[in-house]
Amino acid sequence: MSAFHKGISVLALAAAMMTASPGWSQETTKITDDPLELTIHFHFRDKYVYSEKWPVEQKAAELTNVHVRNVASLATTSSRDAFNLLIASGNLPDIVGGDASGGLKEDFIRYGLEGAFIPLDDLIEEHAPHLKAFFDGHPEIRRAISGPDGNLYFIPYVPDGKFSRGWFIRQDWLDKLGLKQPETPEEVHEVLKAFRDKDPNGNGIKDEVPYFAREEVDAIRLINLWDARVSGSERYGDFAVYDGQLRHPWAEENYKTGIAHVAQWYKEGLIDKEIFTRGARSREYLLGNNLGGMTHDWFASTSTYNDALSGKIEGFALRPMLPPKTVSGQRFEDARRLQVQPAGWAISATNEHPVETIKYFDFWFSEQGRILSNYGVDGLTYEMVDGKPQFKKEILGNKDPVNAQLWAVGAQIPRGYWQTYDYERQWTNKIALQGIAMYEECNCLKQEFLGVSLNAEEKAVYDRYWPSLLTYMTEMQQTWVLGAQDINATWDVYKKRLAELGYDKVIAMMQSAYDRQYGAAR
Amino acid sequence: MKQKFRNALRTHAEDLQRDWQLYLLLAPMIIWFALFLYKPMYGLLIAFKDFSIFRGIERSPWVGFAHFEALFQNDMFIRAFWNTITISGLGLIFAFPVPIILALMFNEVQNAVARRWAQTIVYLPHFISVVIVAGIVINFLSPSTGVVNLLLTRLGFEPIYFLTKPEWFRPVFISSSVWKEAGFESIVYLAAIAGVSPTLYESARVDGASRWQMMWRITLPCILPTIIIMLIIRIGNLVEVGFEYIILLYRPPTYETSDVVSTFIYRTGLQGTQYDLATAAGLFNAVIAFVLVYSANRISRKVSSTSLW
Repeated sequence: MSAFHKGISVLALAAAMMTASPGWSQETTKITDDPLELTIHFHFRDKYVYSEKWPVEQKAAELTNVHVRNVASLATTSSRDAFNLLIASGNLPDIVGGDASGGLKEDFIRYGLEGAFIPLDDLIEEHAPHLKAFFDGHPEIRRAISGPDGNLYFIPYVPDGKFSRGWFIRQDWLDKLGLKQPETPEEVHEVLKAFRDKDPNGNGIKDEVPYFAREEVDAIRLINLWDARVSGSERYGDFAVYDGQLRHPWAEENYKTGIAHVAQWYKEGLIDKEIFTRGARSREYLLGNNLGGMTHDWFASTSTYNDALSGKIEGFALRPMLPPKTVSGQRFEDARRLQVQPAGWAISATNEHPVETIKYFDFWFSEQGRILSNYGVDGLTYEMVDGKPQFKKEILGNKDPVNAQLWAVGAQIPRGYWQTYDYERQWTNKIALQGIAMYEECNCLKQEFLGVSLNAEEKAVYDRYWPSLLTYMTEMQQTWVLGAQDINATWDVYKKRLAELGYDKVIAMMQSAYDRQYGAAR
Repeated sequence: MKQKFRNALRTHAEDLQRDWQLYLLLAPMIIWFALFLYKPMYGLLIAFKDFSIFRGIERSPWVGFAHFEALFQNDMFIRAFWNTITISGLGLIFAFPVPIILALMFNEVQNAVARRWAQTIVYLPHFISVVIVAGIVINFLSPSTGVVNLLLTRLGFEPIYFLTKPEWFRPVFISSSVWKEAGFESIVYLAAIAGVSPTLYESARVDGASRWQMMWRITLPCILPTIIIMLIIRIGNLVEVGFEYIILLYRPPTYETSDVVSTFIYRTGLQGTQYDLATAAGLFNAVIAFVLVYSANRISRKVSSTSLW
């Protein structure tokens, strides 16, 4: 909040400046002549807070002359609680940032509208060339994170890379049974039946689990084969855009067909009996015990089982495969990475240095800032090889995951920054990279619904109807898949019930909000 | 009038001076109540406001009964409310008598060693965290590896996926709760039984009463006041169901029978950050609980002259 003039700090800074690499042009990164201290509340991933001790932070302070001092307490193990408590206290530091369960986007916008955070549009226009260039180049991201009044209230963490999850199959099982990777719904059916009946793991017991999944979204992923969508975005049960029209995938006709087939396959024993209850450890358990045949999961982490199990299970080969063609003959992949994360940072209304703060935010979107936020500090975590940052061998070879090591030095944390996929590519398993390349070539991702910012009236409609609707839809989905009710017999009742619970009102409201926010794009 | 008031004040001051040690002992409890139960009641105001944590309780605008209207028009809330009543009601019928029966049975065990062993075994589950109990239940009832289903398949039945069947939720929930708590709850009744005067039994024995008759005619009537007090407390908790345990056991396919008011509050209020609506639901719950306790107490005072107040 206040510039500090303590002799010791200035001395320390001077010393730091002397050791700084001479290559940086200092005029471009210095924001103030006198060191400026800004306070920040930054709690993230439920267990970390911003730290002045991070090498990345120290480097940034050296380059910008802006020193960011954390005020968030480590005492809580919930970033959501930490954020809410801060807002409730009403005593905001200069910068508020981080992430939290459920995302902070709506919070930044809501409390921004109520006067806690300032709109950033004018500041960006005048003082932040890199941010301006970024938003000009990504108008859809700007629209996605704008408030209902069209203003920006926070600078987001922008992830990179399009692909999150894909289909994986036990290639060694296919080879053993003389089968090919399935290309159509019928072939998927045949392959799963063969996995069930022909004892591909060779233990003489019919214990194979042909299709399994770790997360609820992937439990019904097979409905893709009948052109139905699981969600319009990476968020669970999200709305989807159908040619500019916003609807919910779980109220579509093809969803009925998809669920009917999935329920049938569940009954035939082709889908894990405990798919909704086995939970997060199912992948580890079913692959580790040589039971699981096919799944839909994250590329990077799923591929690593090939290394982890190579000594344990003879010939283990879990390979990514293209999405099979649907009944209508197209291929599509429903899951993709979020284009913008509901995390980042915002400037509070009480901040006395908004211009310096936006310049500081802008620094992280500059070339230097991006390298710093993505790869850490030169010589510590990476080295420049042929003009490109390359992680050091100690980092790549360490038993801790690379991202965890980067968090420890203050890189790849959910400040407002622009990620580059290359950081992840450097330590992603070859098999996963092949899968991603395959999906890249297929070019079969669906359009992502980036979310809408609701005004007070729209929020009232949403709050009133949506939680009940989502509860009911989830409930019926599992009831149908598990066979307690038949979807063909109860579909009309379901649609009628959705209407009673206010489905049409929610859709009309979402559509008008969507048109307001993205109208210019269409 | 003034004189009377002054007198009353003086006697109180005298009381305070004379019994100050007793009041000092009472003080921590009163402070605790004031700080942790009465002061937070101020927060109930947000049930009638459009609450924003940034604006705070004072500066959030009033909305009257809007949240209550929204609640009563919400089918999911109505369903959750009836589910709560049903689960608690069934719990009252099936679970409430178990600790009493247990206590009576313990009382009849003559061998002290056997009795101590039996008691320890039934108390133990109380000290296990609900998270672990839920884990045990889930494993026991697993359709592929659970003990219960292995037994069922041995006996030639089809395995049942208990935790996804709405009709099985209540039996599973109530019976596992009984397993966990009945033993510990029986302590209160055992204490009451220990307080029954031995002379009653001696004279009954002289008159040639059987053990069954002694239990029926002496033990039970003597612990009846305890039973009634416990019953009144239990009725007051009729709208409360062990929230963590439900959260751990329920799944979307069983919401039909398992979604209760507290889980509804959790989903809409905390996950959906509608604190005002959640507070309205909680306040409604508290009002119902108050009415229930009050009527139970009145009825009991009339019928049996035993009451909480």
